[in-house]
Amino acid sequence: MRPDTRSRRQLTLMLAPYLVGLVGLVLLPALITLALAFTEYDLLRPPTWVGLANVTALLDDPVFRVAAINSLVFAVVAVPLRLLIALGLALLLYRRAPGVGTARTAAVLPTAVPEIAYGLLWLWLLNPLYGPINQLLRTGGQNGLTALGRTPPQWLTDPTDARAAIIAMSLFTVGETFVVLLAARRALPRDVYEMAALEDATGWDVFRRVTLPLMAPVLGLLAVRDAIQSLHFTFVPAFVVTDGGPPPYATTYLSLFVYRNAFEYLRYGYAAAATLLMILLTVAAVLVQWRLIRRYRAFYRL
Amino acid sequence: MSGPGLLLDGVSAAYRGATVLHEVELSVARGELLVVLGPSGAGKSTVLRVVAGLEPVTAGRVHIAGRDVTAARPGLRNVSMVFQSYALFPHLTVAENIAFGLEVRDTPRAVAGERARAAAETVGCATLLDRRPGQLSGGERQRVALARALVREPDVFLLDEPLSNLDLGLRVEMRAELRTLHDRLGATMVHVTHDQTEALVLADRIAVLRAGRIEQVGTPEEIWHAPASTFVARFVGSPAMNLLPAGSVLPSGDAPPLPADEDLHVGFRPEATRLDDVEGAAASVDRVEVVGEDAYAYLTLANGGAVVARVPAARRPARGAPVRVGVRWADVHLFHVGSGRRYRPA
Repeated sequence: MRPDTRSRRQLTLMLAPYLVGLVGLVLLPALITLALAFTEYDLLRPPTWVGLANVTALLDDPVFRVAAINSLVFAVVAVPLRLLIALGLALLLYRRAPGVGTARTAAVLPTAVPEIAYGLLWLWLLNPLYGPINQLLRTGGQNGLTALGRTPPQWLTDPTDARAAIIAMSLFTVGETFVVLLAARRALPRDVYEMAALEDATGWDVFRRVTLPLMAPVLGLLAVRDAIQSLHFTFVPAFVVTDGGPPPYATTYLSLFVYRNAFEYLRYGYAAAATLLMILLTVAAVLVQWRLIRRYRAFYRL
Repeated sequence: MSGPGLLLDGVSAAYRGATVLHEVELSVARGELLVVLGPSGAGKSTVLRVVAGLEPVTAGRVHIAGRDVTAARPGLRNVSMVFQSYALFPHLTVAENIAFGLEVRDTPRAVAGERARAAAETVGCATLLDRRPGQLSGGERQRVALARALVREPDVFLLDEPLSNLDLGLRVEMRAELRTLHDRLGATMVHVTHDQTEALVLADRIAVLRAGRIEQVGTPEEIWHAPASTFVARFVGSPAMNLLPAGSVLPSGDAPPLPADEDLHVGFRPEATRLDDVEGAAASVDRVEVVGEDAYAYLTLANGGAVVARVPAARRPARGAPVRVGVRWADVHLFHVGSGRRYRPA
């Protein structure tokens, strides 16, 4: 047997478990979903072909529209905020100093908590009466009002407050982004900072003219990743904490919309079509970001 | 404006608790090009970093252009530095890179652009102003780094092995240009290198550093012709100077007055070593390296000492051949055996 045939066979063998999993668990379901998107299917009767009826119905469905807008608003607000927080933590904690290890662990910890447990924790934190957040907001105030005489936020019953709560929840699970940015900052060359020091650059100048541009490629990739992820990580909070409400659909995001239609209303074809649109939406967002990043990346061929 | 361009007065520095500079005394005249030469780990870069204020001193004072800057932060010392890696920003054009220091110091954009252009012209990279570092060769990056260093007209230029990332041909070329640039600007420069040829070619004066201490400061001629210690003698020159116990070879000519009560080492350079001395010490040839017109013969003396001789390639001895090693007193350097310091007859 020739050595390259042999090594190719070994390679195939070693890749096989991954490929089987990829095909069986991702590719096949994705193709089935694609096919289902053009059918009506309720798990009881065999699927019937309906063509583009699901898609046109979706575009006319006010709930779908609300869910799409909710997802979009969430992404537009949460993704930059999450990136900013992770960057801030990374720049604060990249140096070796006493206590930094503990602080880094604390920054990553919320991400390591199982999602359901994290959601239940927030259900308690956000409770309007005995939740610690509102208790804190009421300190110094009277008759259940804040110190400024305002009603504290009704996290679980007011639509805007509830949407804010879901965003707030997402701001603490930036562990992965934080770790990547920490590594990126530590990898930046020391001499450009020393050069900046010799020019008497202020901290703000150093951040704006040195750190930010040098980290921009990584930040761009993380923004794309987070934008894709943002469609997913609204699911558990909306499912566990707000149940898609306050009524009717204040925190119904696309992910929850798909789940409801598929597994609660048994409209598998409809849900599949919604998934398809969700993916198209993601692809569009990523393409826009990618174009922005590519313009920037051209500079970094060192 | 009086006093030297740069003065280190008993400067010590430490890194992670270990002292890396020991009471360094160094004075650089205005407009002088001083090369700090030494092996890696000798503390050469630390000297620059202490001058720049990037490392604190643990003792002593640093004066730049007559000002005591020991406590001043780097940005207030008016020095600029060319880093070994050039420290250019990949996202900025050459013009923006050169103007970086001016922009940070709030120089109006038009003025900064004009001065960046002038600096680029000085170092011969004016045609590159719109390019980015990723599109430049090593030599071009080097020029940009130089332009950035001189755009602000600093009191002292610090160059941290700026030529070490270039290949040999370019290094020789840039070395010459650096010297020309220095002469044209009349700037005070401190250049760090571990390359003795670079030091000899570039320097007005050389400071040889060894393990955080200054071993010798002098002109290239002094360093070459009167090395203050066996360390300097062997570090400068390639192959290194031969060093043997006195008596291993008997130099010819008029001997200097020698101490009767002390053992000395004799040192002589390979190029001063002769292999055809009838009265010389017997030796055999271990190995011969031919480098173009020259050949280096590696010899073992009958008494065990090792000697290198440079001879014309055409007259090189054969391997294993018996030779007689001779040297003239005029070419011999004498060193104290214990301290390694140069012996100076009274």
